[in-house]
Amino acid sequence: MTTVGANFVSTNYLANSLVGPVMQAQSQLTSAMTEESTGQYANLGLQLGDQSGYELSLKEQVGQLQTLTTGNSVVSTNLSTAQNALSAMQKSAQTTLNNLAAWTPVGDSGPSLQSMGQSALQALISGANTTSGDQYVFGGINSAVAPMADYYSTPTSAAKTGVDQVFQTTFGVLPTDPAAANISASDMQSFLSGPFAALFQGAAWSADWSSASSVNTNAEVAPGEAVTTSTNVNQPGFQQLSQAYAMLSEFGGSALSSDAQQAVATAASSLVSQGVDSMINTQAELGLSQSAVTNANNSMSSQLTILQGQLGNLDTVDPTTTATRISSLTNQIQMAYELTARLQQLNLAQYLPVT
Amino acid sequence: MSLSTAFNVISSSFAANAAQTAVVSNNIANVNTAGYSREIANVVTNSYGGADVDSITREANAALLEQVSSSTSQAAAQQAISDGLSTLAQTVDDSSSTSATSGANQNGASPSAMLSNLQSALTTYADSPTSLSAADAVVSAASDLASSLNSASATVQQVRETADQKMASSVGTINSLLNQFTAANNAVVTGLQTGANVSSAEDSRDSIVTQLAQQIGVSTTVAANGSESIYTDSSVTLFQDTPRTVSFTPTPTLVDGANGGAVTVGGVPITGANSPMPIQSGALAGYVAIRDTLAPEYQAQLDQVAGGLINAFAESDQSVTPTLPSLPGLFATAGATSLPSMSATTGLAAAIEVNPNVDPSQGGNPNLLRDGGISDPGNPAYTYNTTGAASYTGRIQELVGEISATQSFDPSAGLDASASLTDYANASVSWLQAQNQQASDASSYQNAVATQANSALSNATGVNLDAEMTNMLNLENSYASTAKLLTTVTSMFTALLQAA
Repeated sequence: MTTVGANFVSTNYLANSLVGPVMQAQSQLTSAMTEESTGQYANLGLQLGDQSGYELSLKEQVGQLQTLTTGNSVVSTNLSTAQNALSAMQKSAQTTLNNLAAWTPVGDSGPSLQSMGQSALQALISGANTTSGDQYVFGGINSAVAPMADYYSTPTSAAKTGVDQVFQTTFGVLPTDPAAANISASDMQSFLSGPFAALFQGAAWSADWSSASSVNTNAEVAPGEAVTTSTNVNQPGFQQLSQAYAMLSEFGGSALSSDAQQAVATAASSLVSQGVDSMINTQAELGLSQSAVTNANNSMSSQLTILQGQLGNLDTVDPTTTATRISSLTNQIQMAYELTARLQQLNLAQYLPVT
Repeated sequence: MSLSTAFNVISSSFAANAAQTAVVSNNIANVNTAGYSREIANVVTNSYGGADVDSITREANAALLEQVSSSTSQAAAQQAISDGLSTLAQTVDDSSSTSATSGANQNGASPSAMLSNLQSALTTYADSPTSLSAADAVVSAASDLASSLNSASATVQQVRETADQKMASSVGTINSLLNQFTAANNAVVTGLQTGANVSSAEDSRDSIVTQLAQQIGVSTTVAANGSESIYTDSSVTLFQDTPRTVSFTPTPTLVDGANGGAVTVGGVPITGANSPMPIQSGALAGYVAIRDTLAPEYQAQLDQVAGGLINAFAESDQSVTPTLPSLPGLFATAGATSLPSMSATTGLAAAIEVNPNVDPSQGGNPNLLRDGGISDPGNPAYTYNTTGAASYTGRIQELVGEISATQSFDPSAGLDASASLTDYANASVSWLQAQNQQASDASSYQNAVATQANSALSNATGVNLDAEMTNMLNLENSYASTAKLLTTVTSMFTALLQAA
């Protein structure tokens, strides 16, 4: 009988020895082809294992940064709208200031004071009620309600009623009453800086003039970085300008003595110029927020590049490597097929002479 | 030596030749039978110098067979675990379907991806708090997250139920194999007593053991009378002269927290925590690992995420002097009147839902997300937006922060006890994929080992056609020579008789 040594190979094993490797190569080939077409690992979860969570957290960071960047465009729009409105109001205040400087009580200039005030106040109120989308930009967080009511509305607005009342309480007449001509400049002055000024501050302002919240909206512009994204009409600038325009509009009429009118004009000039300064401050504050948004966008964009690079390292396949793998796998399979065919020929019976 | 002795030698030579030819034929016939051990005819010189086939040896190799069966068991166990984990991994399968740049709107359905979408939706809502559509988007992201937890939980339950069914069918297979083994073993024992050829009975015994090893890790010993005993890899007797009954009662529905039954042999549990000698390998052990350990652990993690969500989005009493308890806000479970404790979250992932009070499709008001009061609409104590301002973002920003705020989790779920919701959900994905990767690697490795062991066994005990052909040629030659010898001796006899 033949000796059985370490080199003994069973025919069954020999015949089937290539089946396993071929199947393995075929399954590798399918996943390599998937990777070739998608550019990603065929089974990322199996590939990454406990790195999967890290991969997800990178994706979440990317998602968060993209969401913030998208959100920042809304914030930017709101801020620009507010800036434009503010600079329009500031310009109109500047014009009023110039007109006031040119105004003299000599001659019949009264109506001009009054109309100056009225048009400026209307412009101020319409500017204060500027909207961006469905939000009033100067309403603070109370953005669904117009922050300043129309002063000249019918029925008479609370603000106008307040002004009339306080005038009547002080002088016993209405500003349009001819008897108002008896009011002295000094009385007028103390009225303007006293009871009248009180209407534009604190509780009286919030009750009659403003519906805005003093709390401004804020938004997260970058992870962990929140900025104020609006201002509101409770800022001194709005109060000072409203006060100035209201006094011009109400007390700039010809019923008053020219001395009193002069006093009104002087008080208004000083208030308007304070108002312009306040407006510029507010604009500067919003400008800071705008530049914070721009900076945040820039830094997030470079962060995004880095994060996406890291993500790419984790889950994308090098196309060259995949192509090489596919061709070597194809070769391996072809080789295995050829070998199988040859092995079938390796049979002693084929070489024995037929007897 | 007389001429008649020569005749005797010739006749024994023919007999031996025939017996060896039979062995060769048998070997050739079984060349492609897996598990067939080749036979070798042992030829000895008999008393008058001729050759006799004394016995037929079966070329068995117990050590290699043992290796085949143990590696088969290991491979089967890892395969079962890997299959179960692959199904579980489908619940977090977004990683492979999402491209690196898609970011915010991940197309996967894993709780982790849904959580990230919810955070994005909330961040967008914080930028446009007056937008009803942004509020709706948050509610819909929240409802996606809840259903993703529900469906992950359902998948876990289904995986456990499938494992339970497979355990039942595996136990059925084991019992039927043990019965077949009884027949084969009896054939060997009686055959040895009567001196019959027991090779084929031994072959079938070996093949049954290898099939058993698929289902359950086994070891074997052979007694002096040739009877083979089978033990589990944890040394519980499965067969000793007679089979012992393996029993298992399947549990058709395995909801979160429910335990399946144990497999017992003669009343002794061989699986589960109460088993003094739990089995280590075989498909059965793999199913048990999935049903009783891995799937429940993943379920516990899902429940922790659900509990963490309900707590993170809870609403607290906003009064100056809070007196009321915090209540479930955006996320709730039907009928819940208090917040869940993180140490008792069983069933939450299956039950979590978006609070109907905030869901417009159920008549709720999505603006409550901004204003608070989801838990108890109309109760001023839970209202955050006290002034009713349209652009109030305090609560929304608080919620965005809650998602990434560190909170406490139950360490028994196998992950960090202190993490943010996002990190916890991600860690759970990592845990699952790491287990999946490990099982898949182990399965490939054990399969390779099993293939190696099978090759080694096949080479050690299988048939080589060329070797058998060579034997055949030898026998042919020896037959021809014997025939020639016979002719010669006959002619010598003839010559002798003529001379006489």
